[in-house]
Amino acid sequence: MTTSRRSFIKAMALNSAALAATAIFPGISFSAWEKTDLPSGSIVWSKTPCRFCGTGCSLLVGVSGDKAVAVKGDPNSSVNKGLCCVKGYHCVQILYGNDRFKTAYVRKNGELVATPITEALDLVAQKMGESIQKTGKDSVAIYGSGQWSIPDGYTASKLFKGCIGTNNVEANARLCMASAVTGCLTSFGLDEPMGCYEDIDHADVFVTWGNNMAEMHPVLFSRMLANRKSKNHVQIIDLTTRWTRSSQAADKSILFEPQTDLAIANAICHEIIQNNWVNWEFVKNHVSFHSGKTNIGYGTQDHFSFTDEAKTEDFDAYKAFLADYTPERVEKLSKVPAEDIKYLASLFGDPDKRVTSFWTMGMNQHTRGTWINNLVYNIHLLTGKISSPGNSPFSLTGQPSACGTVREVGTLTHALPHGVVMNQKDREMAAEIWDVPVENIDPKPTYHTVEMFRALDRGDITFMWIQVTNPMVTMPNLKRYRDGAKKEGRFIVVSEIYPTPTSDVADVILPSALWVEREGFFGNSERRTQHNAQLVPKPGEAMCNTWQLIQVARRLGFERQFPWSQETYIEDIWNEYTRFHDSPKHRMAPYKLLKERSGVQWPFVNGRETKWRYNGQYDPACDGDSFDFYGKPDHRAWIWLRPYEPAAESPDTEYPFWLNTGRVLEHWHTGSMTRRIPILHKAVPESYVEINPEDAKALGVVNGSLVKIISRRGEMAMKANINGRGNPSRGQVFVPFFDENYLINEVTLDAFCPISKQPDYKKCAVKLEKV
Amino acid sequence: MEIPSRKPAKLFFLFAGICAMAIPFIVFSALSIGSQERGSQEMAAQTQDLSFDHNGGVIFSAYDDTTYAYMEGNSTARTLEYYYTLRQYPGSPPYIVHDLEDEKGQPYECLSCHGKGGFTQSMNRFTPVTPHPEQSYCRQCHVKPVTEEMFKATDWKSVMPPLLGRSALAGSPPPIAHDIQMRENCIACHVGPGTVSVLRVEHPMRGNCRQCHLPQVAAGLFTRAPQPKQQ
Amino acid sequence: MPIFSYLVYPEHNKKQHLIDALLAERFCEIKVAENEEVLILVTDTPDEKTNKDLLDRIQKLESLQSLSMTFGHT
Repeated sequence: MTTSRRSFIKAMALNSAALAATAIFPGISFSAWEKTDLPSGSIVWSKTPCRFCGTGCSLLVGVSGDKAVAVKGDPNSSVNKGLCCVKGYHCVQILYGNDRFKTAYVRKNGELVATPITEALDLVAQKMGESIQKTGKDSVAIYGSGQWSIPDGYTASKLFKGCIGTNNVEANARLCMASAVTGCLTSFGLDEPMGCYEDIDHADVFVTWGNNMAEMHPVLFSRMLANRKSKNHVQIIDLTTRWTRSSQAADKSILFEPQTDLAIANAICHEIIQNNWVNWEFVKNHVSFHSGKTNIGYGTQDHFSFTDEAKTEDFDAYKAFLADYTPERVEKLSKVPAEDIKYLASLFGDPDKRVTSFWTMGMNQHTRGTWINNLVYNIHLLTGKISSPGNSPFSLTGQPSACGTVREVGTLTHALPHGVVMNQKDREMAAEIWDVPVENIDPKPTYHTVEMFRALDRGDITFMWIQVTNPMVTMPNLKRYRDGAKKEGRFIVVSEIYPTPTSDVADVILPSALWVEREGFFGNSERRTQHNAQLVPKPGEAMCNTWQLIQVARRLGFERQFPWSQETYIEDIWNEYTRFHDSPKHRMAPYKLLKERSGVQWPFVNGRETKWRYNGQYDPACDGDSFDFYGKPDHRAWIWLRPYEPAAESPDTEYPFWLNTGRVLEHWHTGSMTRRIPILHKAVPESYVEINPEDAKALGVVNGSLVKIISRRGEMAMKANINGRGNPSRGQVFVPFFDENYLINEVTLDAFCPISKQPDYKKCAVKLEKV
Repeated sequence: MEIPSRKPAKLFFLFAGICAMAIPFIVFSALSIGSQERGSQEMAAQTQDLSFDHNGGVIFSAYDDTTYAYMEGNSTARTLEYYYTLRQYPGSPPYIVHDLEDEKGQPYECLSCHGKGGFTQSMNRFTPVTPHPEQSYCRQCHVKPVTEEMFKATDWKSVMPPLLGRSALAGSPPPIAHDIQMRENCIACHVGPGTVSVLRVEHPMRGNCRQCHLPQVAAGLFTRAPQPKQQ
Repeated sequence: MPIFSYLVYPEHNKKQHLIDALLAERFCEIKVAENEEVLILVTDTPDEKTNKDLLDRIQKLESLQSLSMTFGHT
């Protein structure tokens, strides 16, 4: 039958049916084919950044009526080009969990009582005022998040630092990106990567340093795979402590002993110098050498403090320093064969190969996180493979707006939207833009995150407001901090969307609006700011975090600093905030452009995005056409002489295993959102402990057996997972932390990098017992 | 396909038309399986045990090794119907439908066609590709029926084959409807000219299938454990 | 080349379910009534056997209340 005859017959079939239907149901009407999957109306598609990881995909969310019903990848985005991952495709389902907070709750006699939000806000302001009165301004604190929208963080910073005058402003990005920040600041003087995602399309070699990109930044990983498929010679080298899905895809997987990445990076530099692969022109003109203190501690005691001291060095001192890091020596320490180290070095040293290094938590959640960041930058600096297409040392961000909000707005104890509290000029700028007396802004930083929760435990902080994060699952050495938050005389306010172990300890719960229920901005790893409009109405009394802060600020008497109307406050805040960044080194795109486009990178200078910073060919902030590392006073990038130092708690005879924690593709952080997405929960319903098959055999344990993981701080019984998607090396175990029924952070250690103050979630010592 | 004789078709149309004009005489009562409220646990919500999921890497090497031309191939119209006639239950090893030796009596080497797929002259069709070429003793599981006669009758029944396209939202990636064990190489069955046409994906160029498509390991929804009372 | 059309009545409150199930079938096209609980289904199968099997499958759907043929061509 020809196609046309067939269509004719089908049309007849359709008409017969329609006729019959009309006979039975007079007045019946049928929608067109395209809308058959909808009960009524059509879908309106609007752009938004994804709610999840730091890749910062742009999505098109389909709204029908007043519900978000579907998701597509945004084909206009250069980040993901229309593709998402499974979390992104289902992210709108997080709006509709049954136990969503739709009203505020106040704890009375141990029970949470539903309360109108205006009353709850009154109480919050009252308690804050009381605490400031009684115990001083540093008794109140706010703990925010890399999942804060940019206006949320900005308002928090303005209220607490500018108006109340306390530097007790921290965010969970301290736990995920602080080492990346201090790494950038010590090596380059300015934060955030100098390259962009376009490097993925140009590189010849990719090295992933201790990150499982296939599961954690899947869309970027797919771009790497596409690059490799299109060009035969492209290689992906997976440098890792644990065999993962990324290892499955890599051309070569190099397994190393935890913490020895420090030694390996130095050994690579040793080889580069040894084989004369140094890019002399680059090093002579654009690099200077420095060293800092050594034996710098681990921060496990309260009030631990550390300040580094930089000493100028030279190339010869650097070369002599590297004499300890021959591949043969490092092989003994790291269990990586010397030839693999030499091979890695040869890839970096090959002048015809463009090399991109990616890392995330393996290097950042590290007791020497700042150092290992410096050391990987060293490799790229020695070979001049930086700030040009395909040559890119790139710290991938974990959260959707750790860059946009925490790093760029500066919601950390020492930071301001431009610069630091310690700097007079920066304080003056903030005071002017914020319209507060400059004396308000305290020049002394107070507490970083771990110290802040210690202060809460000690009673130095008596009021804490937690927004968009779940510290009662994520603080390392969790028991102390959870018990601390529950003590008498601590007033905890939690802005949340679902009940979590953190809302369980709250005195007041404020219902928050999710990202597409309010207008906002996120900023991703590659310095790209993305805007979303409000796409669906807020449920019940839910209120966006920014407005919650504004409401409390006004109740505390700061109407003048927070005058904005509910119709335009997000735009007004953006206009005020971007005044801080008005220089070619950091200019942000105007509001209108962000509304139109699927994201705009900063620096945005003269209508163009700066894709590669510090390179005069692409960056208008540079002097001249060549490289100019303008972040540093000497206009050079700094190579740091950083040694290997052991972990805070290594395995010993009593606790012979390393405990590593992390995520899986399907679940985001503590699972409060992703577990309420049916397809994700059904794919990974429960957490587990990954054990190496030989260790499992020795322990007498099979898949599904209960195993107790015990450390000096706590224990957790979990089901074993052997030969699953990940395979730890012998002597290591891995636990994903998304499951609030298995609070694995009761077992981990609150040691941190003394420079960045970022805790090390990847290394502590445990023993295993078959249950 | 030849055009059937027009007369019966026309009569049929007329008959159906008359029926349609009036209240429908022909009503087929479907088998309503009671009024069970299944909620979002749809039919065939088969869960699987992913304890042994360490072979997932094969998709990456298959992605690299498969040419763009092959990925775009869409020649056959192998049907899912036909696919299931070769199996006793979803996931069972399919029969061998062709001769095992050529005219000269030389046995066929299975992987020469089923390893990478492609067009085979002798059978004039595109071959389906095995997702598990590492299992080299094919005939331990795959056999050729030589008779249609049963020894004794049986009333063997199995489950319905997994339903396709069970996306959670309109347009979102459907979950993996089948067990993954020994079928970790998605490209073997979902890409190329030899595949079942309804299973053929429209986006074969994407390399990391499991970044979007997930299997179902548990059936229920998430509920929070009851919390102890606060002080 | 059997082509048939039907009026399809879903079980109470199962219309969306039925729509999803039918959309998943290869040889089916549907039109959804906007103001009544009924759909039009047009099936276009390559041969008798496929058609019969398709019909069997559709009839087994728990969200289907009844099926009424309104056109047939074989």
